[in-house]
Amino acid sequence: MFLMDSFSLFAIFGYLLITAITLATAPRKDVSGNNRIQLALIVAGTLIAYVSGSLWVFLVGWALVGLAFRTGKSGMMLASSTLALGIGTALISFGENGNAHIAGFAALVLAALLRKGIFPFHFWIPMAFEEAPLPAVNLMLNSHLGAFLMIRFAFRLFPQLAVQTLSLIGLLAIFTALYAAFLALVAQRPRRILALLCISQTSFILAGLENRNVEGITGALVHWLVVALATTSLLAVYRALEVRTTEVDRPAGFLGLGFHAPRLAVFFAIGALTLVGLPGTLGFAAEDLLFHGALESHPLLGFGLPLATALNAITSLKLLSTLFLGRRGIHVPPIPDACWMERFALTVPVVILVVGGISPSLFVNLREPSAHWIAALLAGR
Amino acid sequence: METLLIAIVAAPGILFLSLALLWLLGWTPPEKVTTGLTKVVYIGIALCCSALVLEMYRTGAVSVEASLGTWFEAGEYVFSFALVADWLSLPLTVLTIILAGIVTAFSARYLHRDRGFFRFFMLLNLFAFGALLAFTAASYDLMLGGWELVGITSVLLISFFDERREPVQNSVRVFATYKLADVGLMLGIFGLHYTMQTADFSKIAEGHISHPTIIGLLILIAAAGKSAQFPFFGWLPRAMEGPTPSSAIFYGAISVHLGAFLLLRSASIFEASPWASIVVFLVGAQTALIATLIQRVSTDAKTSLAYAAMAQLGIIFMEIALGFPRLALVHILGHAAVRTLQFLRAPSMLHDYHRVHAAAGGHLGKTGLHYERILPEGLRAWLYRIGLERGYYDALADRVLIAPVLRFARWASGFEPGLVQSTQSRELKSLINGVARDVWNESAKRVES
Repeated sequence: MFLMDSFSLFAIFGYLLITAITLATAPRKDVSGNNRIQLALIVAGTLIAYVSGSLWVFLVGWALVGLAFRTGKSGMMLASSTLALGIGTALISFGENGNAHIAGFAALVLAALLRKGIFPFHFWIPMAFEEAPLPAVNLMLNSHLGAFLMIRFAFRLFPQLAVQTLSLIGLLAIFTALYAAFLALVAQRPRRILALLCISQTSFILAGLENRNVEGITGALVHWLVVALATTSLLAVYRALEVRTTEVDRPAGFLGLGFHAPRLAVFFAIGALTLVGLPGTLGFAAEDLLFHGALESHPLLGFGLPLATALNAITSLKLLSTLFLGRRGIHVPPIPDACWMERFALTVPVVILVVGGISPSLFVNLREPSAHWIAALLAGR
Repeated sequence: METLLIAIVAAPGILFLSLALLWLLGWTPPEKVTTGLTKVVYIGIALCCSALVLEMYRTGAVSVEASLGTWFEAGEYVFSFALVADWLSLPLTVLTIILAGIVTAFSARYLHRDRGFFRFFMLLNLFAFGALLAFTAASYDLMLGGWELVGITSVLLISFFDERREPVQNSVRVFATYKLADVGLMLGIFGLHYTMQTADFSKIAEGHISHPTIIGLLILIAAAGKSAQFPFFGWLPRAMEGPTPSSAIFYGAISVHLGAFLLLRSASIFEASPWASIVVFLVGAQTALIATLIQRVSTDAKTSLAYAAMAQLGIIFMEIALGFPRLALVHILGHAAVRTLQFLRAPSMLHDYHRVHAAAGGHLGKTGLHYERILPEGLRAWLYRIGLERGYYDALADRVLIAPVLRFARWASGFEPGLVQSTQSRELKSLINGVARDVWNESAKRVES
């Protein structure tokens, strides 16, 4: 019923860390009243899912996270993914022939694609970013339950089917990475830009799993951690700006907020540039492994990843410039820089990412046993 | 000797990290502390460099390789961390240290009491670390790390005077050019891994290179991007928005020569592919021609120097393509030194002219116009126009590359739910509604009849 191994242990540790950072940096109104219940549901659901050893327990965790987003189109999409997972779980548990199991596997894949926002189901994530509190969205997105579902259950229960469908999933993931990167180039609202950046970069995780070699899978697992820490920093800084001034919602030009908040600007810059593989951060090692893995298994598909990264890097710098550089307009009020709590909480991911960038083997070696295990599953061993 | 080499590369990086961490936690060092520490570090690594050169001379070693073992590995992929000081990397390492030291001393006064003083020195240290890493890397994989650090520091310094819109806009444009050109380097490296299972310079030089033309052309894209060669030369004048000391070390000396350095490091690949070498020659020749035209009509000192540097880099590319690597190296060193001096003197250019005129006892005669006289007047007018329009490069890039990409992205955004409906989305919806209405009317008529 419950299962705790190095794979889930690492996921739990990473998730608790980003939860702590999110709670420490979130504005008070985002962690009080109904929002507190929402956050509790997300964290509890994710932790239950991480320690689950059976699909039914996993479904409970998944559904709890879905319950936290009951309203809006994002809530509808999460409910759809829960329904797909429920159908898949029922078919796998009670189905007696091969066809039922194939249908169950297809339902699991559908649930994972819906949850991770892989094309054509990517559209709900920008909506969630725009209609829900950012701390909740961050904790929901960075649980990566879609990837967890694929690794823990789909690959383990149906290795043959997984190998057959992985090419399609990988193709969709790389297409999503590129497509979201293109959309982000012309998006206007920062929340939407951040959502598209997150979609594009999290797609790399599924693309890495598809490689079926240890390099690519290790890259995907390290990238999981990089995305979690980097996007947590980005969203925390952006939320900190939102509560300081309403101008960031629809910036009409360069806001020049870095003049008064240089530390927030630096935290944002490090988060954004780590996400796109800045050397000296863990993102460089993760993307290096991902690209090598992709090129070894599918050279043509692998060309898409560097291009998506380049486009995301351009978008990240554009957003950084819009928010923090330029002359501060007279309509933009002077804002306070990062307060002590924010400063210490945001220094934690920065230190982890930079230490990981200087000595990537610390993190790569931690993730490699899980990558071997996944590669062995997919090889039918 | 290995320890000295590691210390030379690591010192600016350690200084950057230490100061950055202290700043993040709330302490901004005063100007004197910042410049003092930076000077101590550059004097220290200059001494280390001298000791390394002397030791190499004493022992007769032609190269020193310092291996820090495996940086990280997964499955069959191993990323080795090894540095090398040889005939190519050592002169450029020495040049970087000397110029970074000079720029430090110059900037301590030039940027005194500027609100970005600390930021400038932090970025300068990060840049020096990136450049030293790129020059001394023993493999393409490691070189890519230094290469990208040089790129990002360059971009952040272009937007240094961010109270104006233009530097910020130009920094984004330069970054976009860098990143797109860097895709070429990444793909070239992956091509080497795919075909030769290695990216170490020494192993590539010794081994048989398969598909050298494709790999060479991919590397050329990256080199052309970094060295502002055709078709990427539009970014260099935009980069002049940064402070003069950074323009000197980036675009007069170190950063722009990284592309030529990459070609020199990849000599074995270009030797294996005459076609790739021909393309390198043509790119260099084309850039040298157009840059010299534009330089002659540029109206401000820094832009004129930028195009002059670009023209020299074109000639360096041609020397590399013709198989004269040592000549190219000497050209790089000489050009970098002269150009740094010119950039650093650019703010005082008028003062310098006045002093020269005063010393000569009157205005000096006009120089140049030797080549122009050979050309017919009509052609001169055309060339003048092309020079003024900077080769129409920006207009072409906007129309052929940027506009279609953005148009596609906007078109695709039109189908995204949750956005304000764009024109094409409305058109598509009305088309679908129209077709659906026609089908409905048709079927209704059939039912009635």
